[in-house]
Amino acid sequence: MTRLIDPSLHKLSFIMSEMGDMVIESISMAIDSYLTGTNTKEQVLKLSDSIRAKYFEVEDLTFDMLLKYQPVADDFRLIRSSTEISYAFSRFGRYAYDITLVRDLFGDVSECTNASLVESTKKVKHMIKEAVLSFAELDIRKAIEIREDEKFIDRIYRERLPKLIESTNTRCALAEALLLRYLERIGDHAVFMSDAINYIVTGKHRPTDERIASHTKTEQN
Amino acid sequence: MSSIQNRRQEYRSLFKQNVAKRLLVDKIVRIIVFSCVIIAIIPLGSILVEVFKNGITAISIEFLTDTPGSVGSGEGGIGPAIQGTLIIIGLSSLIGVPIGVMSGIFLSEYGDNKLAKSVRFFNDVFMEFPSIILGIFAFLIIVLVLGHFSVWAGAFALSLIMFPIVARTTEESLKMVPTTYREAGTALGLTKWIITFRIVISAAKSGMVTGILLSVSRIGGETAPLIMTILGSSQFFSSMDTPMDALPLRIWRLSLLPYDSAQLQGWGAALVLIMIILGINLGIRYYFANKKKYFLQKFD
Amino acid sequence: MTALSTKPTDMETSNLTNIDSKSAESKYKMIAENVTVSYDGIDAVKNVTMKFKEKSVTALIGPSGCGKTTFLRCLNRMHDMTKNAKVTGKVMIDDIDLYSKDIDPIYHRRKVGMVFQKPNPFPTMSIFDNVTAGLRLNGIRDKRILDEIVEDSLKMAYLWDEVKNDLKKSAIELSGGQQQRLCIARALAIQPEVLLMDEPASALDPIATQKIEETITELKKDYAIIIVTHNMQQAIRVSDYTGFMYLGDLIEFRETKKLFTDPKDELTAKYVQGHFG
Repeated sequence: MTRLIDPSLHKLSFIMSEMGDMVIESISMAIDSYLTGTNTKEQVLKLSDSIRAKYFEVEDLTFDMLLKYQPVADDFRLIRSSTEISYAFSRFGRYAYDITLVRDLFGDVSECTNASLVESTKKVKHMIKEAVLSFAELDIRKAIEIREDEKFIDRIYRERLPKLIESTNTRCALAEALLLRYLERIGDHAVFMSDAINYIVTGKHRPTDERIASHTKTEQN
Repeated sequence: MSSIQNRRQEYRSLFKQNVAKRLLVDKIVRIIVFSCVIIAIIPLGSILVEVFKNGITAISIEFLTDTPGSVGSGEGGIGPAIQGTLIIIGLSSLIGVPIGVMSGIFLSEYGDNKLAKSVRFFNDVFMEFPSIILGIFAFLIIVLVLGHFSVWAGAFALSLIMFPIVARTTEESLKMVPTTYREAGTALGLTKWIITFRIVISAAKSGMVTGILLSVSRIGGETAPLIMTILGSSQFFSSMDTPMDALPLRIWRLSLLPYDSAQLQGWGAALVLIMIILGINLGIRYYFANKKKYFLQKFD
Repeated sequence: MTALSTKPTDMETSNLTNIDSKSAESKYKMIAENVTVSYDGIDAVKNVTMKFKEKSVTALIGPSGCGKTTFLRCLNRMHDMTKNAKVTGKVMIDDIDLYSKDIDPIYHRRKVGMVFQKPNPFPTMSIFDNVTAGLRLNGIRDKRILDEIVEDSLKMAYLWDEVKNDLKKSAIELSGGQQQRLCIARALAIQPEVLLMDEPASALDPIATQKIEETITELKKDYAIIIVTHNMQQAIRVSDYTGFMYLGDLIEFRETKKLFTDPKDELTAKYVQGHFG
């Protein structure tokens, strides 16, 4: 039996999957532009703007559903998490654009590429794909991997920054610092996203204190 | 989409075909029903008119208060008859109403068993009994036993007529009180008899009183039982053990006499009797029409 | 299946209802144990056990015919009035079993007040007489006490201000919502400890419904309230605990917010999301 809320839920799922695809594309494009030197600023900007437009669509749609249908149980959790996840998507799009801006500003920085950068960018691409898939399939097992990836990226970030301060190649150091920063932020939001997915499936959030503290992580992660 | 619209056109044209015929049948039925009503009312109306026309001239204070004069003299009145009717109605009610009400309460509130079913059955049968048989019954067990006609016998006979009617109307009125009020009473921790007597009866009051007064107006006109029990007399009430007069008896006596003056008095007595009964009936309806309707819930 | 390290005793910090943080410690006001109701051999309520905490509101939800109203009526022995109804099991208020043979059901029934789906103030009585019906008709006639109780009960039912100037007015002249609050006052006047409500707002307009819900929220401070409702949003708004019944069985009974955001039972999830019923 089709409920009144079902068409809206389908629409929501469609928009979210479109956003997910665009997120994967924009981040891949942005990272590649840094590593290979291509300037994809305009395309990524377009993608980022589309993602952002869809974010507002999702906001409107979810609140509309809350107003009209007063959903409960699975529906409710899905809708609540969708707002958080679509915000995370919009942030991913934004950071992707920021990364292309680095390339745009600094010019071709492909020679600044080093091993840890390659590692961390690979992890980020993997993490984003996992996150989007995990939401599409509501599979919380991927959440473990996402957290591991994020920890890795965090570690790289904290290890590299002091080294970059000592570096003599200012141009590469600054570019890498900015990139690492954006990668770290992407990682953070990916974890928020996996929390939201976990909430949909299990109905549980992480304890409040943990959620507050995760915002400003200490050295002992 | 247009196939639906085509079908709709088809259906609509079907409706059109029947309309004229249905309107005609409607009209005919209305005419028939209306005529039946008129046919029913005409006799009643003409009776009232006849009685009024013929009896009004007989009415006077003396007529209403004097004892009957000598036969055929045209003097005297129907005072004892009026008094007798009022007395016999009153006494019969005193006997018949409480018994009837109690039976009605039993049947409605405690009556979900085999005993109640039989009581109800007998009650219904009893209601249809010819009143002359009840009169004979009273004659046999009171008049013959005591050896004389008496007011007791008359009150007994009439109460037998009254009580099934009262029982029935009481039961119906009580049944009309929605169960929810009984439930509310139960939920408040009230015993069944308090709920019945203080809540249900008070809500059924108007129906019950209507029933009682209708049974009163019914017995007001009963003649046959009175013939066998109080016999009639020309004197005012003297004692419970002696015969007494009543309007139906007086009317009957007067109508049998060959004198015109007696006939006139008979019409007068008939008018008085009809006035009394109509008065009771219309009085009930007027009184209750003005009271609030208890069961009309506000739809707001 | 949880991937994250969530501990089992997580504190839900969402702000849908105020859950009494001492809820684990408050005692049970009423306990219904193994209650079964059958009509002519068919079970309408099958071996249901529920516990009701003091100063709380418990909602009973479920599709039509699931037995929730039948169960509610066991809690004050209303089925004594119904033919062919057989009730087994225990209903304990403060350790006294209402169904025990040793006690007077009429006396103990007064510990449990009931409000019905369609407002039913006694039609031939005034507002004052209605509120005091449970007392006057039981022999309590002291005017001073009655006056006090009337004011008290009508205030608790949020009706005092609207009727205080005209207590002799006939009860049926009030609007539907006012009549229902009058019935609440009437139930409260007998000083019960538990209040049963059978879809109390279903016959009322939205504003009146809101007032009833406000009343319930206030009353919860002093009474254990059990409310049968078809309106799930109402259950979410006013109740602390919710029981979902289906075809006579109690399927799930939990804190309201948990039941509605994360139901454990598949059937409950289907019902609350509108997949049937």
